[in-house]
Amino acid sequence: MANALFYLMAAGAVAAALGVVLAKSPIQCVLSLLASFFCLATIYLLAGFQFLAAAQILVYAGAIMVLFLFVIMLLNLGNPSSKDGAEDGLFRRKGAFLSVIVAAATMAAGAMAVTADGLAPATQPMPEHGIDTINGLAGEMFGRYLLPFEAISILLLATAVAVVVLAKRDRKDAGKGS
Amino acid sequence: MTVPVEHLFILSAILFAIGTAGFFLRRNVIIVLMSIELMLNAANLAFLAASRMHTLEAGATEASLQGPLFAIFVIVVAAVEAAVGLALVIALYRNQQTVDLEQVTALKN
Repeated sequence: MANALFYLMAAGAVAAALGVVLAKSPIQCVLSLLASFFCLATIYLLAGFQFLAAAQILVYAGAIMVLFLFVIMLLNLGNPSSKDGAEDGLFRRKGAFLSVIVAAATMAAGAMAVTADGLAPATQPMPEHGIDTINGLAGEMFGRYLLPFEAISILLLATAVAVVVLAKRDRKDAGKGS
Repeated sequence: MTVPVEHLFILSAILFAIGTAGFFLRRNVIIVLMSIELMLNAANLAFLAASRMHTLEAGATEASLQGPLFAIFVIVVAAVEAAVGLALVIALYRNQQTVDLEQVTALKN
């Protein structure tokens, strides 16, 4: 039952990811990405990562997607044919070769992961309360990983300041209005 | 769930490959940013698959927590990247009235 759900969600995640790359309208891309995130959150849950599944929904689906939707609607990009790029198609031709190379390399790495020895059999028992208990995560994060935690806090603060500076109008433009 | 951990790695590789293709192929800056999110998600899945593998190898007595921790850090970095990237998109649109990468050639040559 759980296995069938995993394969269903894996197929859903791949289909939604393809939707992100292939859809015409940016709004369709955002909704596909949202579906992909939900499928992945289900997979995290099935694999024993409750907290990460919750964080995935909250941060990705809740915060980041709203940011994307907000910008698309702010810039009025929802209709693909209204603006530039409609006549030349959605894709850049120059990137095709590079993307084929990188995708092939990634798939080769995945195939190597399959054939590698020593991967654990899946039939062993899992920890009772999942792998990423809040208790264990907090112990590591505020113990051994305190310095990365502080660094990432500073990164977040710097980003908040940087985004305000970037998105703010230039001062000389502010007087002109609109 | 008794799915072998290899299948998680394969799913991660497929999602990363799709994200790469979107990154190199799409012309819309916002969709390129979404492809980056897709790739970061695939990396997260690989972290968690490795954590699951090590936990199962240890006989499930001790959870391997490095994977989830780095996945949390990746989520934070993804949020930061989305915020900065979208601010740049807004600044770009304000200056050039376009989000088409083919038309943004100010740094070319």
